[in-house]
Amino acid sequence: MKVQTRERDGVIILDLSGKLMGGPDADYFRDLVLGLVEKGLKKVIVNLGDVKWVNSTGVGILITGYTTLRRNKGDLKLLHVSSKIQSILYVTKLNLIFECFDSEETAIRSFEKY
Amino acid sequence: MSEGVIMEFPSSYKYLNLIDLVCGEIVKEMGFSPETGNQISISVIEACTNALEHGNKCSPDLSVHVVFRQQTDRLVIEVCDSGEGFDFTEYLKHIPDPSDIHHKRGRGIFIMKNMMDDLRFEMSPHNNGIKVTLEKMLCTAAVAEN
Repeated sequence: MKVQTRERDGVIILDLSGKLMGGPDADYFRDLVLGLVEKGLKKVIVNLGDVKWVNSTGVGILITGYTTLRRNKGDLKLLHVSSKIQSILYVTKLNLIFECFDSEETAIRSFEKY
Repeated sequence: MSEGVIMEFPSSYKYLNLIDLVCGEIVKEMGFSPETGNQISISVIEACTNALEHGNKCSPDLSVHVVFRQQTDRLVIEVCDSGEGFDFTEYLKHIPDPSDIHHKRGRGIFIMKNMMDDLRFEMSPHNNGIKVTLEKMLCTAAVAEN
């Protein structure tokens, strides 16, 4: 998994690419989110547009990021979720937890209520 | 009629991509819908991930064995690890609620059970490892076409 970090309108966008699964990716992503929280950056969008596939461990990685941000009064939302990832979120009912967007603009605007 | 594709790969995540590609071609050829194909592919990757992580403990010296059996009315996939085995019956008794965000892991078996028509665990006949069998039925229309 590779991550590019950028900022738009006070929202951090993490552009993920490759495979999101277990192994070192979990520690890397957890540390990345913790680093953002320490800097006071708590509005995060994870762009999954270039992620080839995710397994259940990869979903666990996203959950860790989500719970870390929520505990610190932030949020983590998903952008460009593929049909495979949607299937996993739907069957595990995690689609009720994660807000998912097809448009970056809409995802950014959704943070305006914070 | 039954046709089989046999694959064996070392315990490394990088080979899962290959399994995914082969699985994608097989489900397409058999006439599964894209949505069902996704479910099969996701489940096979979950089974392979479990085999290399829990069965083989990520040891590069141990391999994962995958067989795709194309039958007229169904696809049967067997995934075997080469590990020392573990008490999977206990493992199966404690599948957490997948929507509980306090659990970081443990969703793989739930996903496979819900996406496939049948899921079975047994000791591998060839070694001490675990054999997982996943089955997905073709819908009636697709069977008639084949």
